[in-house]
Amino acid sequence: MLAGKNVMVTGASSGIGREIALVLSKQNANLFISGRNEERLKQVFEKLTCRDKSNYIVCDLTNEEEVKSKIKLLPTLDGVVFCAGVNEFVPFKFISKEKLENIFNVNYFSVILLLQKLLKNKLINKGASLVFISSISAQLGVPATAIYAASKAAINSTVKVLASELAPQKIRANAICPGIVKTPMIGNANIDVSQFLEQEKNYPLGLGMPVDIANAVVFHLSDESRWLTGNILMLDGGFTLQ
Amino acid sequence: MEIQQFIENFAAQFDETDASEFTISTRFKELQEWSSLIALSIIMMVNEEYDIGIGAKEIVGSDTIGDLYTIVATKTTL
Repeated sequence: MLAGKNVMVTGASSGIGREIALVLSKQNANLFISGRNEERLKQVFEKLTCRDKSNYIVCDLTNEEEVKSKIKLLPTLDGVVFCAGVNEFVPFKFISKEKLENIFNVNYFSVILLLQKLLKNKLINKGASLVFISSISAQLGVPATAIYAASKAAINSTVKVLASELAPQKIRANAICPGIVKTPMIGNANIDVSQFLEQEKNYPLGLGMPVDIANAVVFHLSDESRWLTGNILMLDGGFTLQ
Repeated sequence: MEIQQFIENFAAQFDETDASEFTISTRFKELQEWSSLIALSIIMMVNEEYDIGIGAKEIVGSDTIGDLYTIVATKTTL
């Protein structure tokens, strides 16, 4: 479905981003995967099928100077999947400027500034598809997620503006908002893993797996979704039905 | 690290429970007001006040305020 397409995936060294890279590779996309952890990123790269036409780029996307130099390693792209992100549960009373900056730097500012540079340097082909991994948190009111939810809501708003700005070049921009997906991020969060797993009963189709998100990304990147833009997809096993 | 101050900081994360309820031997997870949000607030308080990183594991592993104090005090002296 994606043969010959050049696709960049950020945050590809673990979790949902890793699975996206592996699934896109099975669809014969040429992949340009980025992440901060070289060892883990290399391990993902070794599993890709089209390695001769793919590459891995170790990059801290929050470092603008590094991004400026690393994008020179990229070919022109037919798709970008923005998956790099962090989550920290912070009760409102404990919000600080530092925490706001940390989460927004990774989840919003770095995403926008990377895309801005890709566009300015004409690295996004006509007809390309931009896919932003957002979160259902952006539309919910889960306690202690004010910063995270706002960072994802900012992504969702930006997607709509981008979709209209880029439509003349037939470049599409869409967001996918997963519910709870079983990834290492769950274990790294500062709340008890069992609290996530207890949520399973609220998901009519159960908790998500990374491959569920990756499969949706395949559709968004393919020409089969050529008429889809500015869309915010709730991908949550029915959680928001209730 | 002062135990009394720790108990006061701990109690400050609650809005409904009377301050007299909090002692070294209080089994805090049995308090009616206890919630996952307060658990998170305790983690944040320890980080802010004592510059110590604890997570859900330390909360799960403590029954009394004294248990948690011991964990935090041990990390403080490391």
